[in-house]
Amino acid sequence: MNNPLRQIVDSFQHYQQLPAFCIDNTFYTYRDLAERIKGIQNQILEVGPVPNSNIGVMTFNDIETYASILAILFSGHAFVPINPEHPADRNEAILEQAEISIICSGGTIHQDFTKKISGVKLINTKILQFSGTDFLFNANENDLAYILFTSGSTGTPKGVPLKVSNLNAFLRSFFKMGYQLDEKDRFLQMFDLTFDLSIMSYLAPLCVGACVYTIPLTGFKYMHVYSVMEEHQLTFTLMVPSILTHLRQYFDEIKLDNLKYSLFCGEALYEDITLEWAKCIPNAVIENVYGPTEATIFCSRYVINRQDPNKNLNGILSIGKAMDGVELIVINDSNQQASMNEKGELCIAGAQVTPGYWKNEEKNNEAFFIHEGQRFYKTGDLCYTDESGDIFYSGRVDFQVKIQGFRVELGEIEFHARYFLKSIAAVAVAVQNDLNAWQINLFVESDKIQKDELLEHLKAHLPSYMIPSAIIPVPVFPLNTNGKVDRKQLLVTLNKTNIS
Amino acid sequence: MNHIEILNQINTIFRRVFENDSLHIQMETSADDVDEWDSLNHTVMIVEVEKHFNIKFKLKEVLSFQNVGDMVNIIHSKVTSA
Repeated sequence: MNNPLRQIVDSFQHYQQLPAFCIDNTFYTYRDLAERIKGIQNQILEVGPVPNSNIGVMTFNDIETYASILAILFSGHAFVPINPEHPADRNEAILEQAEISIICSGGTIHQDFTKKISGVKLINTKILQFSGTDFLFNANENDLAYILFTSGSTGTPKGVPLKVSNLNAFLRSFFKMGYQLDEKDRFLQMFDLTFDLSIMSYLAPLCVGACVYTIPLTGFKYMHVYSVMEEHQLTFTLMVPSILTHLRQYFDEIKLDNLKYSLFCGEALYEDITLEWAKCIPNAVIENVYGPTEATIFCSRYVINRQDPNKNLNGILSIGKAMDGVELIVINDSNQQASMNEKGELCIAGAQVTPGYWKNEEKNNEAFFIHEGQRFYKTGDLCYTDESGDIFYSGRVDFQVKIQGFRVELGEIEFHARYFLKSIAAVAVAVQNDLNAWQINLFVESDKIQKDELLEHLKAHLPSYMIPSAIIPVPVFPLNTNGKVDRKQLLVTLNKTNIS
Repeated sequence: MNHIEILNQINTIFRRVFENDSLHIQMETSADDVDEWDSLNHTVMIVEVEKHFNIKFKLKEVLSFQNVGDMVNIIHSKVTSA
């Protein structure tokens, strides 16, 4: 597959009558999708943006959202997904940073946000003139394909742009991993469209003419995931491990014989629960894939062995080896390549690596470096490599955590909390609860706080996965020997007083 | 145990799990009505309800819960047939 995006265009020609998407139990054929892509492209052409513009897409669970993404990508523009459920201020910051002047939307936008986009041209994707299926394909390797905004510690989201060449490199590596896939396959798409794992979940199936099954945005995700997998007998799923945490108590009732591939990404994958899951999916290959947004979706994988012991660190499965075209190295504290079993920061080079953060020279100087002629991205993940080259994840080098698969800078939560609290200190700490799921506790240095008002303020500025599960007042923060707030000691205090 | 008694007992569990002492659930209450009712709390709540009534829900039953009333009905059928 030389040019996988071009391959998608071929799918539209070969599989016109086959289903491309199943959304809320309605099937849309490749032809239905092509008509919408063409219709949206016509609307974009009417507005006439300059080449390689960034165009926003309000993300709803509907065919028009997916058609918009493809219409923008195929037109040679970059799509910027915007979740209408995220706070208006945060979305506004994204629009400003990405200089977005056109937004495609097929759904209702909150009033708060509508006020902020008065100068932006809104394309209503629910009202389209269908004029055939011969959509444009102008995506060149050097064009930006998309920009995703991730949590940033300064309180402003950080843009990660990826080029068409990055996306094609990912898809090429993906299809070199030996999956036996064709137009009869059925893929799960369970991710928020602002999260890059969604991009694999809908583009990989379109490359082979397969069908994408999405899940509703409301209700409980893990239930929808299971229902769709069971009802439609899905054959390929990429999920975050926390889905298993919720389903675990029902594993003895689950039997999904048709599942061929079960991939996990986004969080640490534990061996015990994975092997229990393996019994529910007797015919599937199970893989742990890993990668930051900056290196396009994922870039390493470990195939789980059902019989023999698996490579793990404290029960967390190895993230395996680099995918084709990717180079992974571990750099130690002295900025040297680490020796075997020596921990250090995992760094990535190759065609999947982003050209750099969006208009953020300072962050680019910190995060990228040249080593032996190759440009590497520093992931911030603490890892080591064993004798056979398998990589093990052992935590973050900074205070970033992953909540429900989303990368969260605890500093961003603290930033907004401190803004509300004026001069009062606030520290966010991620902890694992009894279900092994991560949650955020926010400690506030005060003996009395207006919890509800603080929570309201955070909800107005942060997406739901960044809202603390508990707000805990502490009269005086414990300090460590470096004079910094001792986060570990804070948690000890919490456990002693048993506040939950 | 009748439906109202079950509902009252569930209310106590909900208040504890969702850390909301002023919560008053009804048969029609659903996850949309309670801010704290997210997927994590849902799982914790199910486990707590199962412990309290000494029952075990089937996955299909859990998937069928649209509101508190659906859960109360299934609990009722389980405790009366036990």
